[in-house]
Amino acid sequence: MAKKWGLRVRNWMAQKMDLPQDVMMDLPRITMIGQIHIYIENHRGLITFTDKELRLLLKQGQLQIKGKSFVIKTILPEEILLEGKIDQVLYINENPGGTK
Amino acid sequence: MKNKWIEFLTGRVTVKVSGRGIERFINVLTRNGLMVWNVKRHGTETITFTMRLKDALKIRHYARERDCSISFLKRAGMPFLFKRLLKNSGFAAGAFLFFLLIMLLSNVIWGIEIKGAKPATEYQIRKELDKMGVKIGKVQLFVDNVEGIQRKLTNNVGNLTWVGVDLKGTTYHLQVVEKKEPEKVEQLAPRNLVAKKKAIIDSMYVETGQKMVDIHDHVEAGELLVSGVIGREGQTQQIAAVGEVWGETWYRSHVELPLETNFFVFNGQEKQKHSLILGNIEIPIWGFGEPEFKDYEAEKNVKKINFINWELPISIGNETLRGREEFTRTYTEAEAEKNALDLAKNKIKSGLDEEAIIKDEKILHKELKDGKVILDIHFKVIENIAVGQPIPKETPE
Repeated sequence: MAKKWGLRVRNWMAQKMDLPQDVMMDLPRITMIGQIHIYIENHRGLITFTDKELRLLLKQGQLQIKGKSFVIKTILPEEILLEGKIDQVLYINENPGGTK
Repeated sequence: MKNKWIEFLTGRVTVKVSGRGIERFINVLTRNGLMVWNVKRHGTETITFTMRLKDALKIRHYARERDCSISFLKRAGMPFLFKRLLKNSGFAAGAFLFFLLIMLLSNVIWGIEIKGAKPATEYQIRKELDKMGVKIGKVQLFVDNVEGIQRKLTNNVGNLTWVGVDLKGTTYHLQVVEKKEPEKVEQLAPRNLVAKKKAIIDSMYVETGQKMVDIHDHVEAGELLVSGVIGREGQTQQIAAVGEVWGETWYRSHVELPLETNFFVFNGQEKQKHSLILGNIEIPIWGFGEPEFKDYEAEKNVKKINFINWELPISIGNETLRGREEFTRTYTEAEAEKNALDLAKNKIKSGLDEEAIIKDEKILHKELKDGKVILDIHFKVIENIAVGQPIPKETPE
């Protein structure tokens, strides 16, 4: 309950004080340039990487990117730049009480 | 996007990783501050990526913790280029040596051409040049400059009037004028010998022609001495008169000689300065600082360095500073008189033929004024007064 409290306070502050949400709430910030580039900040690490799929761990849930001929141009602890032909960007939410 | 030039300078390596859980391996690398880029997957168990050279050394440590095998594929960047350069340094050294050799050879004397000299003189000149070190195969830098060679040659080779030394590239061209040209057989036109100036005949030697005056005769300038018209009257014949007529002539000379004269004399102290000249910049190599003597004269020699046909903007300068001292010469009156007389004699002699002799001198007037000896001298000179004068062609009536 306390965690939720903190989240609500932060959300409220972000709204009232006009602060960027990604900084306040640790959300990923995704920048796409057409289909060819995708730049993701605030990720928590790689899960899967093939030339057709990239899965990233986020603070909450995962991000799945599907496409063709993927190449990771740069990877830093919290940033990643992916190049290729991007078809889909999907959020996979943790389902409480799921497999993990 | 980040510029990869820094990575190029420090070197980068392409790494192939195969095994399971490669994604986690990459996570570990990035979290430990190892930069990774250009990650590509090849098949199910293999990926390749590029990383810094210095990070590549640490990668094994992380790989050992998980069951990934690593191999390095491609090495790029300055450290590897440099390594290759060292490996191939023979080429660079060869190129450098080649240029050095050409530069050296461009500064070597490759030829000495002597024009206008008889074989005997040419041989003498060559011997003299050898002594000076001007030889085929010698480096120009260690040889006297052109003016020096010219001066030494004219001084040391007796029968040279003038020698022009010219350095064209690697060849010295010597243009020689000899003192005694091979004597030409002169075809003389009919002529008389006349007096060149007023004189008293001292002695005569007539080869051809009719003598018109006698010893102790007084002749005026232009007077006929030896006639070119010989034979009896009516059967005259015109020939070229040849002969010498020695006459006593007179000269007056006026000389002034100060008793005290200031000279600059070299005191033998010398200082050499060497420098390398690049364009307008002069870099001293040897001989620094001011010389210990205060008063000096500087002589500068600049030698250009050639490259094949071109002069490089590099030259070697050599400066000689010669210490000098002021020196005051003081004459007594008698000394001054004697020297003034000698001076006058030399002055007269330089205006006369070589064979002329000064028979007598007489001081007409002597004066000491403003620290100067002033002399008026009368000279008696025996000289050849005969000069040729063509006989005008008699026009038939």
